[in-house]
Amino acid sequence: MSGADASIVADGLTRRFGKFTAVDGVSFEVPRGEIFGYLGANGAGKSTTIRMLTGLLAPTSGAASVAGHDVGRDPDAVKRTIGYMSQKFSLYLDLPVRENLLFFGGAYGMQGEDLRARADEVLALTELGDLGGAVTGALPGGVRQRLALACAILHRPEVVFLDEPTAGVDPVARRGFWRLIRALASEGTTVFVTTHYLDEAENCRRIGLMVDGRLVALDTPAALKATWVPGKVLLARGRGLLAASRSLRGRPGVLGVEPFGAGLHVRVEEGALEAGEVARALAAAGAADVQIEEGAPSLEDVFLAVVGQPVTAQAGATP
Amino acid sequence: MTERLRRFLLRVAAMSGKEVLHIQRDPRTLYLALVMPVLLLLLFGYGVSFDLDRISLAISDGDRSSASRALAGAFTRSREFVTVAEVGPDDAERLFRRGAAQAVLVMRPGYGKDLGRGEPGRAELLVDGADATTANQILQKAEAIARAESLRLAALLGGMAAPPIEVRTWTRYNPAARSAIFLVPGLAAYLLAIGAVLLTALTIAGEWERGSMEQLFASPVGRFEIILGKLLPYLGLGMLQLLLVLAVGASVFDVPIRGSVTLLFALGLLFLIGMLGQGLLISVLAKNQLVATQAGVLSSLLPSLLLSGALFPIENMPRPLQALARLVPARYLVHGLRGVLLKGSGLGLLGPDLVALALFAVAILALATARFQRRVA
Repeated sequence: MSGADASIVADGLTRRFGKFTAVDGVSFEVPRGEIFGYLGANGAGKSTTIRMLTGLLAPTSGAASVAGHDVGRDPDAVKRTIGYMSQKFSLYLDLPVRENLLFFGGAYGMQGEDLRARADEVLALTELGDLGGAVTGALPGGVRQRLALACAILHRPEVVFLDEPTAGVDPVARRGFWRLIRALASEGTTVFVTTHYLDEAENCRRIGLMVDGRLVALDTPAALKATWVPGKVLLARGRGLLAASRSLRGRPGVLGVEPFGAGLHVRVEEGALEAGEVARALAAAGAADVQIEEGAPSLEDVFLAVVGQPVTAQAGATP
Repeated sequence: MTERLRRFLLRVAAMSGKEVLHIQRDPRTLYLALVMPVLLLLLFGYGVSFDLDRISLAISDGDRSSASRALAGAFTRSREFVTVAEVGPDDAERLFRRGAAQAVLVMRPGYGKDLGRGEPGRAELLVDGADATTANQILQKAEAIARAESLRLAALLGGMAAPPIEVRTWTRYNPAARSAIFLVPGLAAYLLAIGAVLLTALTIAGEWERGSMEQLFASPVGRFEIILGKLLPYLGLGMLQLLLVLAVGASVFDVPIRGSVTLLFALGLLFLIGMLGQGLLISVLAKNQLVATQAGVLSSLLPSLLLSGALFPIENMPRPLQALARLVPARYLVHGLRGVLLKGSGLGLLGPDLVALALFAVAILALATARFQRRVA
């Protein structure tokens, strides 16, 4: 993949605030029409990256271009060609749904019949068709979130940046939202999305993992799992697992043991250890009621392997 | 029209249109901008009146002649004095202490006889001087009444009485010394200032608080377009406010408009731009509505009420305050408004006021825009 077909190109993108380096030499390319997930704990540099790519913040060094425009030299051209949905989806709650859309349309230079027709089109697309006259503040979070997306895509941007778009939205609404994002991408819009929810990151074609300002991993979800969580994942449930887990560490064939919720994730080399052997070993070490399920590695496992602790634990540290 | 200009205007129009919707949907804004000024004006115009009438007067008539009764009658006929008691000549102090009377008219025995002989009649007016302003006004009114009475007597007695001395003081521009005429220009400045500063400070701080400012910055809408789009509706509202205040002043309190209306609105416009700039600066610095409200009220209400000459003459202030008052734009508006409304002053006299207002507007807008730019990296 090279520049010609890439919607986003970051090359050594760096941003310092005083002595603190928020984003440190990040390079990647996102081809047109791809859903690109950007994961990391709070403070890992996700929002700073987005703010540089959207022309809100000038890079300290390095360069990036979005839709062919250099973010440092021509931020205004970048702003015209992108859509942006900020973390709090800052809509005007006192205005009706449709007025929010019409305002953002005007802000992007649309007017007249073209704007009104497009507003109706986007309302239909985001399933807000019959809510056009409702006051935004009276709507539930999931609906507001769809409206924020509608505002971001109204002017037919080539690239859409979504900063934590599903934060604080219920699971059903989140699923509906991702359906919208996939539909958007299938029509050729490039989607750059950050999220805390690792389950929904599976919707992304590729994922970049940020840790302390650095992009430490970048690949498809499947490839990330194969690279970072090799072997088979066994999910152990029962009592006294944590104490018993020590007996598994260092045992031949065991690649890793991590607490996962109330249970344990035990990664074993393919073919080296059977589920029954793991259960017996745990029982011998004092665990009771041990049940073992074979599970597929999740992105949570990837995150654990990369960062060394669960994403949620870090996310909670800095609200 | 070039494409650039068209897009610029389109974005400013989008910002302004949105702001108008906000205003329409928020009854508080309209109340603050249009209802409160009228209420305050009526309240100040009627309630905070420096005018005196129905002054309580006690009469000590030791003469009990037709002449003494005529003098007492002259006082009460004007309706400015009301007789509250008939007392002895030494009761004044007691009455003042109790607050039962503000003045006592004492006529000694022989008052009528003296007049009949062609000698000056002597009457005393004792005034409660605890409130100097009131006392002064009472004295002025009493003097006028006494003068009129002595003129009447002179005619009646065919020149036998001592020729009345004509002490004529003329109050120009506000001959009836009515408070409303003095107050309305000052109130206009005060109301415009507080409305403009508060409303802009709130609307822009609101964008920060809501997080929508970042959303705006990520759109092609430029900083200047945001400012212009935000200020225009409030400028319109402010001009409407000015019109309303002047209309109420003219219709309810008979405040004249002697000078050019164009000049009036030029003054108002320049002043408003300065106040909107001040609100903008506050909101850029404060970034939340609570702080912006407090800073807005303090920085607009106090100077425009106390240091503008709206209520208290600047000439009577201590020197440091006088110097400070030079920096208060409201004083130039008050001076200018009084000039146009009451004196019909033209551009020649009000030039300095216009220049001062323009300077303030340019300076504060430049400062606010510069700060606004810097806040967003």
